[in-house]
Amino acid sequence: MIRIRYRLVAMLLLLVALQFVLRPFLGDSRVAPDLLLLALLVYAIQARPGDAAIAGFVVGLVADSLTPIAFGAGVFAHTCVGYLAAWGKAVFFAESVPVSAAFFFAGTWLRDLLVLVAGRHMGERSLVWQLAVWSPLKALTTALAGVVVLVVFRRWLRYRA
Amino acid sequence: MTLAPDSFSSRRDTAAFVICLVLALVARVLPVPVQNGLATAVSHSILAPFLYLQEQAEVVKSSRTHYLASAGLRDSTVLEALSAQALAEENAQLRAELGLSRRLPVRHVSAEVLQQAMPTAGLMARLSVGRDRGVHSGAPVITPDGLAGVVQSAGDRYSVAILWTHPDFRVSAMTADGAVFGIAAPRGSAGPNTPLLELRGVAYQQQLPIGTRIYTSGLGGPGGVYPRGIPLGTVVAVAEEREGWSRTYVLLPAVHPASMAHVVVLTGPVGDLSGVFPDSLTGS
Repeated sequence: MIRIRYRLVAMLLLLVALQFVLRPFLGDSRVAPDLLLLALLVYAIQARPGDAAIAGFVVGLVADSLTPIAFGAGVFAHTCVGYLAAWGKAVFFAESVPVSAAFFFAGTWLRDLLVLVAGRHMGERSLVWQLAVWSPLKALTTALAGVVVLVVFRRWLRYRA
Repeated sequence: MTLAPDSFSSRRDTAAFVICLVLALVARVLPVPVQNGLATAVSHSILAPFLYLQEQAEVVKSSRTHYLASAGLRDSTVLEALSAQALAEENAQLRAELGLSRRLPVRHVSAEVLQQAMPTAGLMARLSVGRDRGVHSGAPVITPDGLAGVVQSAGDRYSVAILWTHPDFRVSAMTADGAVFGIAAPRGSAGPNTPLLELRGVAYQQQLPIGTRIYTSGLGGPGGVYPRGIPLGTVVAVAEEREGWSRTYVLLPAVHPASMAHVVVLTGPVGDLSGVFPDSLTGS
């Protein structure tokens, strides 16, 4: 169990590092996968809801520090997504690639929705375009990245899909 | 894979969630200076090594882009006889990108834009320069195409700028001949990739034809924020009319936030940038 936890921590740190090193090369920033959020979701599906909420709080603090346009909105959104992801995964989901991909997609889109609603910095039309176009595209790439992570690290994560 | 507990959510989990939510709401309602202080503290402590990595990645990315542009230019000189027109256009573009820094008559520093993943990232930019390079709050941020935004807070090594898309952004604007003045502000979006500006408060008897270029007016002189003569956008439509009083015009912005990779931060006293930008003010 201890070895699994070390491996999980190593994989999460790798995702965080890739967010800063690899993401600039992945094209339009509005579409490129959010690896920081992906790390939170991967952690959430292995953790208790309370721990996932705390992890979401930390990730949100980091995200808000990087984009301090609506400080606190990111903390709120990531906390909710972390908690709901851990709770929902435990209640509903089986381990399968399509379900996991849908899980990552929904988590990313929900995070964007909560950030924008809590931040209230975007006009109505810009908000609609963001949620209807850019957020789904980013959620899609994040879901693809998540599937790649689950497949590549399936032994570390003991993923049985 | 699941290591989650048998009981889905205990009282401890709920308590942790509620405490985190309360702290998030407290963070949301803190005064802006305190929020900026917290963001700066996190950026300069646990995030510092990651931001350094991202800065280097952005430099490598832009170096590759410049190398490809240079290689393309070199190759095109070989084919000059066949593609003289294309070469001239490419030269003009490269000069616009590389020459702005040489043309600027005010003190300035170049910066990389460190792209972020949050959905609000289109409203601001984290820049790879800070107080150690002379950047300060209120410093204008420009690109070879025009005005991008203004520095909101400057840390030791990094700074945060709000872009013209931010709802709080305002700048005094004018036409090239200085005959018509107004206030430029963001105006939502006409499509997923078409953020717009608007020019408010133009006197009713002054009409602007479609295609008129709009620039910063430099209102406030040397004590103001924005120098005179930075392109803001082009008039594309009339938005609203207050009969007998004023008109509001829709502007297609000169700078698209999503396409920004490098910017220039003006760190010196506000000057006059008329004539610095291509197709900019004449005779002012």
